[in-house]
Amino acid sequence: MQNIKTFYFDSAATTPIDLEVIKLMNDINLNHFGNPSSIHQQGQKSHNIIEKSRKSIAQLLECSDSEILFTSGGSESNNIVLKGVLKAGDHFITSSYEHPSIIKLVKELQSKNIEVSIIKPNIDGIIETHMVLSEIKENTKLVSIMYVNNELGTLNPIPEIGEALKNKNIFFHSDAVQYAGKGELNLSSLSIDMLSLGAHKFYGPKGIGILYIKKGIDIEPLISGGGQENGMRAGTENISAIAGMDLALNIAHSNFTSNHDYVKSLENHFLKKLTENNIDYRINGEHNRINGILNITFFQVDGHALLINLDMLNIAISYGSACSSGSASVPKTLLEINMPEEEARCTVRISIGKTINIDDIDFLADSIKNIIGRIKK
Amino acid sequence: MKEKVLVAMSGGVDSSVTLLKIIEMGYEAIGVTMKLWEYSAVGGNNLQDNNCCAVSSINNAKLICEKMGVPHYTIDFTESFKDKVVDNFVNEYLKGRTPNPCVRCNSFIIWDTFIEQADLLGAKYIATGHYAKIKKNKNDYAIEKGVDSKKDQAYVLWGIPKETLQRTILPLGDLTKEEVRNIAREHKLETAETPESMEICFIADNNYKRFINEYAKDKTNKIQDGKTLNEKGEVIGSNDGYINYTIGQRKGIGLTNPDPLYVKKIDANTNTITVSEKKSLFKSKCRVSKINWLIDNPTFPLNLDCQIRYNGYISRASINSINQDYIVSFKEPQLAITPGQSIVFYDNNQLLGGGIIELINEA
Repeated sequence: MQNIKTFYFDSAATTPIDLEVIKLMNDINLNHFGNPSSIHQQGQKSHNIIEKSRKSIAQLLECSDSEILFTSGGSESNNIVLKGVLKAGDHFITSSYEHPSIIKLVKELQSKNIEVSIIKPNIDGIIETHMVLSEIKENTKLVSIMYVNNELGTLNPIPEIGEALKNKNIFFHSDAVQYAGKGELNLSSLSIDMLSLGAHKFYGPKGIGILYIKKGIDIEPLISGGGQENGMRAGTENISAIAGMDLALNIAHSNFTSNHDYVKSLENHFLKKLTENNIDYRINGEHNRINGILNITFFQVDGHALLINLDMLNIAISYGSACSSGSASVPKTLLEINMPEEEARCTVRISIGKTINIDDIDFLADSIKNIIGRIKK
Repeated sequence: MKEKVLVAMSGGVDSSVTLLKIIEMGYEAIGVTMKLWEYSAVGGNNLQDNNCCAVSSINNAKLICEKMGVPHYTIDFTESFKDKVVDNFVNEYLKGRTPNPCVRCNSFIIWDTFIEQADLLGAKYIATGHYAKIKKNKNDYAIEKGVDSKKDQAYVLWGIPKETLQRTILPLGDLTKEEVRNIAREHKLETAETPESMEICFIADNNYKRFINEYAKDKTNKIQDGKTLNEKGEVIGSNDGYINYTIGQRKGIGLTNPDPLYVKKIDANTNTITVSEKKSLFKSKCRVSKINWLIDNPTFPLNLDCQIRYNGYISRASINSINQDYIVSFKEPQLAITPGQSIVFYDNNQLLGGGIIELINEA
């Protein structure tokens, strides 16, 4: 493949891996291949890399290292929670705009005689605490609400929901995949029982993630076999990915403020350019949104066609929910917040990460202007 | 700057070579797969390698595009395909008619939506891997049969809007299937040996009766066993219900007769099929509806060549327009003229147009 400059505005889908992380992982892959379960020194070295990472991550998230379970990513973490906690006769509360690794499990849960209540977000794309509380029943066992919605970038009141569920004998889980690396995550002050993270959203490698499980919670493992991860997840560990995730999370945390301010300034510049270019647009979920994810409706502009036209200029953005064939349907999340289908079809997601610079933003805004001039209905 | 061409990529050998040819002609290509059907919806357990909307075929299309340095996109048309093609297919059978979904797909989805996408993506032309040719004569454009008589697909193109011809490129019309495969082999394309596509792309196992029974369960459940009549209208047996028969069918009628019996008529209203001996299935006239002309201002009566089924033989006929009704009179009587099927008109190799066959009462 030729080395053409690409403009990547899809960091909510995944992020490039930090160079430092790549170097560390390459070094581990080259030098530390021992099986962490082996008794010999090579094995011990690998084992220690994993445990050092676990301690480092636990320190950063302010929890105990025994509460950190390494998984293959957010989807696996979410699956472990739902399938490992809920039993026949239990009641489960979740929201309608969760990641597929939650919402697509609902049918399966129901077939196992698990009751499910699904909350729709309000028109601002937020799940409010009272919405959760009003669904609680005597047999409610688990509540799972995502921290940040991946399509809208809206931030749910997870600390508040956690407080409200305290002492109710209900487990509270949050899929924080889209939040991690973008905001403070302090588990010692957060009233939560389980939390899912995936490294590839914070400039770490793909195929590795975390499930935080508060001490004392009994969960059935999804994969049984060898005794890895305290019997909670069998299979030889991905040593370099675990260490890479640790480093990526540390980099993200030590640069929170500067990254936040930088992304915010790029966002402001982009929106200013759109206005200067006389583009008719609306930011969705504007009231409580994290920086870096812009869900934008460009009125009378087919979102999928806008995406393809931008892609032909090597600019990557996102439209709708992608499926295995690479086609896209109308963004479902937007229908959940009662956006008319016609507007949803004209809505794209532009996510801005730390690797973007101001010239990239100018090129994006000018390209959008040119394309819209040609394809607006 | 090179002109852009939107190339329809199904992920088979024909579309792969089409893309190759478009690039060789000097155009800038964009590969597009139209996702028309979700097999898991109805009978998805019978996926074969040549199901064009299956993920594996779309993956092939992506690989070929990458190999040729061309971007590839999948565009979802499942809603309009269901509305305009699949629903019509099932409804026609429920009326006792025999539809031709490929024609409808080309007429109402592929060309219109492809041109629309070409406009959205700034492309001047569209290209497909149909075995047919576009001929330019001064400022007029026409479709001609492909050189490979076994593969010729002009028949399924009669319904496409004439004004789109000037924006259409069909690079395979001058090639035989074997030549196309050889080109793919020479270029080491992964798709060189892909099997021939199936008869009806959205029916994974090629079993249309199974498909209709599953797709329109609520309607087919009500169809009970039907009566089998002779030409005098006398009941001579019973059958599984009209939906299971097509005009000209011989097998599965369940009657013994010194001479073989064929389905001559299907009546959905009375749930009857009428059977007769072969000689009685010949007719010399039919009416044509939903006609589309690919020539300007035809004058009537018009003598032309006709084809009444895909891969069927060509027969000489004359078409006349009487009170906005088109009547075709065949020089030789035709066997099993089937309502719902396409009748396609030619002048030698040139496709003149076509329409849908309707019954006519003959004395």
